[in-house]
Amino acid sequence: MAYKGKAKLRNTLLATGVVLAGMQAVWSSCFVYPRWSKDYSPVQTGRDLIAGSLSADQMLFALAGFRELIAGILWVRADSFFESGNYDAILPIIRLVTFLDPHQIDVYATGIWHIGYNFTDEEQRSDRRYLPAALALGAEGAHQNPTTYELYYETGWLWYHKIDDNYEKAVYWMAQADSKKDIMSSPARRNLLGRIYERNGEVEKALDHWYTLYDIAAAEYDKDTEHRNFELHQNKDTIEQNLDTMLVRMSQRGFFAAKEHRSLEGYDINPPFDVGFGMKVSVPSERVLRIQGNWNVLPVGTRIRCILRDKNFPNAIPGGALWDADLDVNFNPQRDKTYMMDQLFVRNQRFDKTIDMSRDPTMYPFISDDYVLEFYYNPRSAPQHIQDKFGWNGEGMTDSTAEDIRTDIRANTRCMFYSVELKKDQILLRNQYRTQQPVIKSKGFRETEEDYNQSKDRAQIPSLRGN
Amino acid sequence: MFKPIIAIAKATVGEAIRRRVLLIILFVAVILLFVAPLLGVLSARQEKTVLTGFVLGIVQLSSAVIAITLTVYMLPNEVERRTIYTILSKPVQRYQFLVGKYLGAVAALALMMGLMACVTLLEFGIIQHDWPKGVELLQGISMFFVQMSLLASVAMCLSTFVAPLVNFFLSGGIYLIGTLGYAFFDSFNKNPNAPVYSKALAWFVSTILPNFASYNVQNKLINPEVQIQNPLQYSINAVVYGGFYIAIMLIAGMLIFDRKEV
Repeated sequence: MAYKGKAKLRNTLLATGVVLAGMQAVWSSCFVYPRWSKDYSPVQTGRDLIAGSLSADQMLFALAGFRELIAGILWVRADSFFESGNYDAILPIIRLVTFLDPHQIDVYATGIWHIGYNFTDEEQRSDRRYLPAALALGAEGAHQNPTTYELYYETGWLWYHKIDDNYEKAVYWMAQADSKKDIMSSPARRNLLGRIYERNGEVEKALDHWYTLYDIAAAEYDKDTEHRNFELHQNKDTIEQNLDTMLVRMSQRGFFAAKEHRSLEGYDINPPFDVGFGMKVSVPSERVLRIQGNWNVLPVGTRIRCILRDKNFPNAIPGGALWDADLDVNFNPQRDKTYMMDQLFVRNQRFDKTIDMSRDPTMYPFISDDYVLEFYYNPRSAPQHIQDKFGWNGEGMTDSTAEDIRTDIRANTRCMFYSVELKKDQILLRNQYRTQQPVIKSKGFRETEEDYNQSKDRAQIPSLRGN
Repeated sequence: MFKPIIAIAKATVGEAIRRRVLLIILFVAVILLFVAPLLGVLSARQEKTVLTGFVLGIVQLSSAVIAITLTVYMLPNEVERRTIYTILSKPVQRYQFLVGKYLGAVAALALMMGLMACVTLLEFGIIQHDWPKGVELLQGISMFFVQMSLLASVAMCLSTFVAPLVNFFLSGGIYLIGTLGYAFFDSFNKNPNAPVYSKALAWFVSTILPNFASYNVQNKLINPEVQIQNPLQYSINAVVYGGFYIAIMLIAGMLIFDRKEV
C-alpha cells in the first residue's frame, strides 16, 4: 500500500476509533449500565459492598460468580455455630449470606427467628433491643423476594407473636403474605390473618376473611369428588368451626347489638369486670426486683406485661416501643440501653415475681440515671375466654381505682397501664438505698400475708357475668 | 480482503486446539463441571441454586483463563518464531493479520466454550433431569462468550506492545476490574451518602474500562423468581456494546501494530 493510502487508512481508523469510543460510552451509560445495575448487580440499593467482611479470596470468589456457593458454605458454618450455641457468631454470617445471595429465603427466615427469639438472659427473657434488626431483616428479605409469601409471613409473625401488641403492623405484613399465590401451598397459614384482624379490632374484616377462606376450602373440598384427601376435609372443618365460633362470640360480646345501637345490657361484656389492679415493687438486692400485686381476673390465662426500661429509651411508647422506627439491619443493639420485658403470671388473683437482672450486665447495663417501670395489659392480646368478658377492645374491663384504665395508650382500646419511675440508685441500691430498701406501691395494692405461690389453684372462679 | 483473514483465522484455530496448556485448562474445567453436583450438600434446600451458580462460575472463570492464555502469546510467538515474516511477505496487510488472528482466537474460544456448554446441558438434562434449565443456562454461557470475545480483543490489543507475561497479568487485571470493579462503582452510585467526587470518578473509570460485568446475567438464571423486564432487549444492548468495544480494541491494536518494528 502506498504511503499516502496507508496514512489515509490510519486517519480513517483513528477517526472511527474515536467515534466508536464515544458511542460505547453513551451506549453503556444509557442502555447497558442502568439495566444491569437494576437487574443484575450484586449490590443492593443504598448499601456499601461487603468488603472487609469477607476475606480477599472469598470476596474474589463471591463477586466472580460464586456468590451462591460462598453463601452456601457460610451457612453450613452457621449450622455448626447453632449446634455449639455460639449465637453471636451467627449474626455476621446471616448478614453475609443475605448479602451474597439475597434469595436464600431460609436464611432470612432463620435469621429473623434467631435474632428475634434466641438472645435471652439467664431467665429466658428475650433481649428486645434486637427486635429492630429482626424486623429490618424481614423487611429486606420481603423486598428482595417479593413473589413469595414466606418473608412477609415471617415478619408478620414477629409482629403478631413476639411483639404481640402492634397488630396494625401484623395485619400489614400478613395481608401482603395472604395476597401471594404461593401461600396456597399451605392454606392453613391463611387462617392466621383472621385472628390478627380480630386482634386489631377489625372484627368485620376478620369475619369476611373467614367467609372467603371457607368458600375456597369448600370449593377445594368439593373438587376432591371422592373426599379421600383428609387435609382438605380438615381444613374446611377448621375454618367452619372458627367461623361459627366467631359468629357466636360476636353475638355474645354484643357486637351486633352495638352495631344496631341496641342496649348492651345482658351481654357478656356487661357489667364491666373490675380487674382490681395493684402492685408493689421492692428491690431486695442489687439489680433484683420483686414485683407483687393483685389482679382479679381468672387465675388461668392472664399475664400482665411488665417493662423496665431507660426513661429515654429510643422510640419508647407506653407498654412497648416503635420497633420499626429505624429499619436498618444493625446487629449491634444499643448496648448502653436497658430494656427488660417480662410477663407477670397471675395465680389465684395475685402475682409475685422476682426478676433477677444481676447475672446479665450486658443486657441490663443500667447506665442511665432514670428508669420507668411499666405495667400493661392489652385486652386485644388476651386469650379468647378472657376476651369473652373484656370484649375485643376492653369495653368489658374496668378498675375500681379508675386511674389505671387508659384509652390513650392504644387507639380504640381500653388498656390497663400503670407506670412508676425508678432511679438508678434505687435499682443498684446505692447511696441512701444501701440501707433503706426501696418499696413503691400503687393505690390499689392489697397487702396480704398469704403466700399465693404456695396455695392451691382455686377451682372456683369469679363469674364472668359479674364481679 | 477477507480471504487472507479467513486463512489466518483457520490456521489460528488449528494451532489453538493443539496447545496443551489450553487443553489442560479445558480438561480441568470439564472435570469440575462433572463434580459440581456434589456441592449441592452446601445448601439445605436450594441445591439447584448452588449448582447453577457454581457451574456458571466454572464456565466463566475457565473461559477467561483460556481467552487470556490464547491471545497473549499469539502475536509475540509469531514474531519470536519469525513466522510473521513469511506471512507479511505475502500480500497480507498487517491489519488483516491482526484481525485474522483475533477471529481465529474467537473461533477457538467458541469451540472450547461450546464443549463446556454441552457438558452443562448434559449435566442438567441427564443427571438433574431438568433439560429446560440446561437450555436456559446456554443463554448465560452465550453472554459469557461475548464477554470472552471482548476480553480476547483487549488482550490482543495489548499484545501488540507488551510482553506476554505482562500482558497476561494486565489483561487479567482489566478483566477483574471490569467484572468486580463494576460492583464497586455501582455501590458508589447507589449509596446516597457517597461523596459526589467519588461518584464522578467511579462513572469516569467505568465508562473508559470495558464493562465485563454487563455479561454476568446469572441473577435471573440462578434465581428464577426474580422479575426482569425484557432480558432479550438487555442482551442485545450488551452485545452491541461489546461490538463497539471490540472494534475499538482491534482498531487500537491495528494502529499500534502497524507502526511496530517486527
